[in-house]
Amino acid sequence: MTRVTTALVCVALLGMSAGCRERDRAAKEESAELGTRRGEPVADVARAHSETTAIARTDTAVAPGAVATVASARVDLWRGPGDRPFDVTLRTGDPASAMSRRFGRITLRTSLRSRAADLGQYPCTSCHLGRRIVLADDRVADAHQNIKVSHPRQTGGTCATCHSADNVELLALKSGERATLDHTYRLCAQCHFSQAEAWAAGAHGKRLDGWQGRRVLMGCADCHDPHDPALEPRIPFRGPRIERTRGSGK
Amino acid sequence: MTSERSTGPLPDPGDHTLLQKRVDRRRALSILLGGAAIGTSAVAACAPLGATTPESKEARLLAWREYIKGNYRTMTEVERAETIARLERLAELKRGVDVTIQSTGAQPGVVFGYAFNISKCQGFRSCIEACINENNLDRRAATQYIRIFEMEDGVVDLDHADATFQHEVPAEGHFYMGTQCFQCADPPCVKVCPVGATWQEPDGITVVDYDWCIGCRYCMAACPYWARRFNWGEPEVPVAELNTNQHYLGNRARKAGVVEKCHFCIHRTRKGQLPACAEACPTGARVFGNLLDPDSEIRWVLANKRVFRLKEDLKTEPRFWYFTD
Ligand code: SF4
Ligand code: SF4
Repeated sequence: MTRVTTALVCVALLGMSAGCRERDRAAKEESAELGTRRGEPVADVARAHSETTAIARTDTAVAPGAVATVASARVDLWRGPGDRPFDVTLRTGDPASAMSRRFGRITLRTSLRSRAADLGQYPCTSCHLGRRIVLADDRVADAHQNIKVSHPRQTGGTCATCHSADNVELLALKSGERATLDHTYRLCAQCHFSQAEAWAAGAHGKRLDGWQGRRVLMGCADCHDPHDPALEPRIPFRGPRIERTRGSGK
Repeated sequence: MTSERSTGPLPDPGDHTLLQKRVDRRRALSILLGGAAIGTSAVAACAPLGATTPESKEARLLAWREYIKGNYRTMTEVERAETIARLERLAELKRGVDVTIQSTGAQPGVVFGYAFNISKCQGFRSCIEACINENNLDRRAATQYIRIFEMEDGVVDLDHADATFQHEVPAEGHFYMGTQCFQCADPPCVKVCPVGATWQEPDGITVVDYDWCIGCRYCMAACPYWARRFNWGEPEVPVAELNTNQHYLGNRARKAGVVEKCHFCIHRTRKGQLPACAEACPTGARVFGNLLDPDSEIRWVLANKRVFRLKEDLKTEPRFWYFTD
């Protein structure tokens, strides 16, 4: 059963990551059918599915100049100012959909990338198939060389602190619920609650689109590497500068 | 100075009286030259020999009509549409670019405000880059509206701040603070302008009519925040880099000898978009919104964070707050 369940989750997630609504829905219906037919408990799977499929895909039908290639998930759990729900940008499965937006001559690229393309070893189920894989520390490092595990090191966490033990593609919340990788803010907010509050209210994190109407927020993992969350230093834009006039700033 | 504010898309009759003297000055000029029509043909007739292609002739006629137009605030809707059509055509004739110049008015019930998180800013200067490109700032003179100051941790000391840092950021033991025009609620720059070329719009943006400014630079002296920039030469922007989405009171082409400044991306924000700097900032240090909407992000910051403004004792009431996490 575990194997079947996992495979179904896998199908659903793959469907989603391919940005294909049809397949996603089909997978959900299929799983619901199977689950009912066999009379087996599918609570977790159903939850995972409802989270992935309840996403309001706004896709590309946005005003000119607005964010074009990013689908959004409606977040009702955390509310914006005035108790308004807001959208969180989602990574789509299409590597070509990296978000870019033109400002005059330059093209702004945010760190919003295809999650599937971003995660070198996605889908996780290609290794972690159906059963929990527990490895010695050095083996984990071997298998996940692309992950710099500074956050778990600092906090004394293990993989299972955040990842669901029997399905690594889901995040394990302390409440016992599970969340998909697109809803990382639910996991992060468990400790970083003041940041989460400021994020929902508009004082933490990057916002896209406008000050009016639909609000689109970047999710936690769109800017922070969850395993190594500090931002990298960089060389600043070295454009034209203005020398200060004498006495200004007094 | 509230009587100087324009109250909507149509000019306030009060403005007419206010500017009558200046309108008369221009009118006198055109009468002197025998009226607009005759003046136009005179100019065309006296044009230097040689360059008399239909395009150059048309450009000269348009330039002449532009020269005798009024202050933006005293124009009727029709006159505004006409000058915009002329400016768009001139851009096409002179530079071969197809620009769109908006005259979008202020939205009712909106006053813009800005907040800047000094705990978040990392000194990347992405805002400056976006601003230069968005607003067609002079590349040769290296004009920039925004400055990012680097200061040592502990105290806001702009006297000893460095706005020219070139090293990797964020530097150890330092923090960063950005300045630009703060769109003061009681702007001294507006009070000193002798010709009414700069004024505060109903949504709080202080704008400049580049075709009415005489370049006296009084406003630059009056601004306590060093927010205004003077064009010593004609701004140079390569055609390929030109942002063709423009606003009459915003990022349209400026000329030599006039003052310009940050206008909160009037061509974007009046349509509900974020200013380019807020959108470009990768750290989320910039919060922009409607001060009159109690549910806006900016109001949340004002209600929930410790905020301060620069040089508050001058009572210019900047609509730009700094805050920390
Ligand atoms: S420089 Fe232009 S805008 Fe400034 S005070 Fe003089 S005329 Fe007015
Ligand atoms: S910051 Fe300076 S230019 Fe801007 S409104 Fe205030 S006084 Fe005027």
